[in-house]
Amino acid sequence: MLSYILRRIVATLPVMAIVALFVFSLLYIAPGDPAVVIAGDQASPEDVERIRQSLGLDRPFLVQFGSWVWRILHGDLGTSIFTNLPVSAMIAQRLGPTLSLMIVTLLLTVVVAVPLGVVAAWKAGSLIDRVIMGFAVFGFSLPVFVVGYMLAYIFALELEWLPVQGYTPLSSGFWPWLENLILPAIALGCVYIALVARITRAAMLEVLQQDYIRTAKAKGLGQGGILFIHALKNAAVPIVTVIGIGIALLIGGAVVTESVFAIPGLGRLTIDAILRRDYPVIQGIVLLFSFVYVLVNLMIDVVYTLVDPRIRY
Amino acid sequence: MALLEVENLQTHFRTPGGINRAVDGVSFHVNEGETLAIVGESGCGKSVTSMSLMRLIPEPPGRIAGSIRFAGRDLLKLSDREMRAIRGNDISMIFQEPMTSLNPVLTVGRQIRETLMIHQGLDKQAAEAHAIEMLTLVGIPEPKRRVGEYPHQLSGGMRQRVMIAVALACNPKLLIADEPTTALDVTIQAQILKLMLDLKRRVGAAIILITHDLGVVAEIAERVMVMYAGRKVEEAPVAELFRSPRHPYTQGLLGAVPKLGSSLAGTATRLAEIPGQVPDLRKPITGCVFAGRCALATDLCRQYAPGLEEKGPRHIAACHYAAKGAIAA
Repeated sequence: MLSYILRRIVATLPVMAIVALFVFSLLYIAPGDPAVVIAGDQASPEDVERIRQSLGLDRPFLVQFGSWVWRILHGDLGTSIFTNLPVSAMIAQRLGPTLSLMIVTLLLTVVVAVPLGVVAAWKAGSLIDRVIMGFAVFGFSLPVFVVGYMLAYIFALELEWLPVQGYTPLSSGFWPWLENLILPAIALGCVYIALVARITRAAMLEVLQQDYIRTAKAKGLGQGGILFIHALKNAAVPIVTVIGIGIALLIGGAVVTESVFAIPGLGRLTIDAILRRDYPVIQGIVLLFSFVYVLVNLMIDVVYTLVDPRIRY
Repeated sequence: MALLEVENLQTHFRTPGGINRAVDGVSFHVNEGETLAIVGESGCGKSVTSMSLMRLIPEPPGRIAGSIRFAGRDLLKLSDREMRAIRGNDISMIFQEPMTSLNPVLTVGRQIRETLMIHQGLDKQAAEAHAIEMLTLVGIPEPKRRVGEYPHQLSGGMRQRVMIAVALACNPKLLIADEPTTALDVTIQAQILKLMLDLKRRVGAAIILITHDLGVVAEIAERVMVMYAGRKVEEAPVAELFRSPRHPYTQGLLGAVPKLGSSLAGTATRLAEIPGQVPDLRKPITGCVFAGRCALATDLCRQYAPGLEEKGPRHIAACHYAAKGAIAA
């Protein structure tokens, strides 16, 4: 098992290298010359040339790429063109809110979507099933910002149950932290919950047809034991897969959600960086997101072996 | 004394094409410690009968009527909770497909433990010890190691042994075996049958054996009930049935069994087959259910359904002509 994980980590290196190449190429593909942007409107061509040289933008592509990778491997993501702060420090500062939002959304999704999907499959064709699946289609079709503003309007402005926007770090207490994350997590989780509930239902429907479910019934097991132990564990592989794929959705959705709820996280940083053409920051964030995604995929593969003993590497 | 008394069992399914009368008015009984075989071809309602006894028919679309008295209680009148307490404890089941009847993601030990923990209130350690004991009893080598293994690590025969261990863990009074050996190699079949008989003697359970394999019936059953198109057409002690089958359908079944070595002995004949198809159970049947395929059928058969009549010692059959020597082949 350990050797499998090690092999998988080694196998992700080429993936990360390709990602790094793409990320670096952004500078060349994207319109606009960073040297001109940094120099500002008043700069003379000489100023621009000076900046270009100081940033090494005049050197050959591969040389630039090589030295960039070398610096990244040493933990140096470069310096922001706009703020002159190290990119790694800027990311570290914004990581907390985004990570909090993602974790709360992920937990909310698993806790809500999986039971809903299980119940829908159990009562397939009934009113409950149709109501749950109706909500799933609804949740799937609503954009994050629409849900976000609707929730903020109802629960924050009208009912005043929860704060409208903002973020409180976990260090100032659990409830103040959670309170600020509930509405964003629901808004961000909507699509995700719909997706996971649908997949859970489909996977469970197939499993519930199997002979071993009949065996479980014949043994005198209760409905709960049959659904959540005998059936759900067999349905787990596709569910876990979709939860993993959904993390990519979360990364994209977080950018919008953080804007709606004024959460000072990586999503906001991303938007700001793009608007300012702050290439080192954009590169750092994209690289981080890619790394997280590769890591999540690795984790999913490991979880497979835990839920299904037939899967061995 | 009768352990199980089934009275006018009717299991019907609502389908788009009408009501499918999969089991239509079947009555039988099983005595304590007795082995009753239910035989018939695919679709005759034998499996539906066994599933009905356990109330494992999904309702709807299924509907079970009649009465199923088990140890004095009508199972059809019990609540779901009371029924669960009987399943796997007083009545347990072995299925045809050992490859798919065990849960692939749970250990063998866990699947045996479960019934013990639910029904006997054992804690995990005690149940585990008992599970190992059961694996030893069903002849699985290295039970201490096997108990932690998953079904895919076992062969088909071993899995059926595990199924038997699961079924017998709580010392049931009645074991329903639905084609327990059909999916197994012939050599393994014999081992599994012997095992079932040994264990039956040990725990004193009655067995309902559902099969279309008449060789198996001859080997282990005491009494045989023949089903056709959702009805009981004949019932007799096993020796009596093989010696003098009364119903033309039973005679057809027996005629369709190849005799080993008959070609060497020069007595080989073409295997008799029963022509035609099982009638559509969604349409009402007037007259004898077998009339459409019976070589001896007359207008009487096509108009009036024969009742079950005494044709010999403890031998009943539903045929207008069964009593007459003409058809005693």
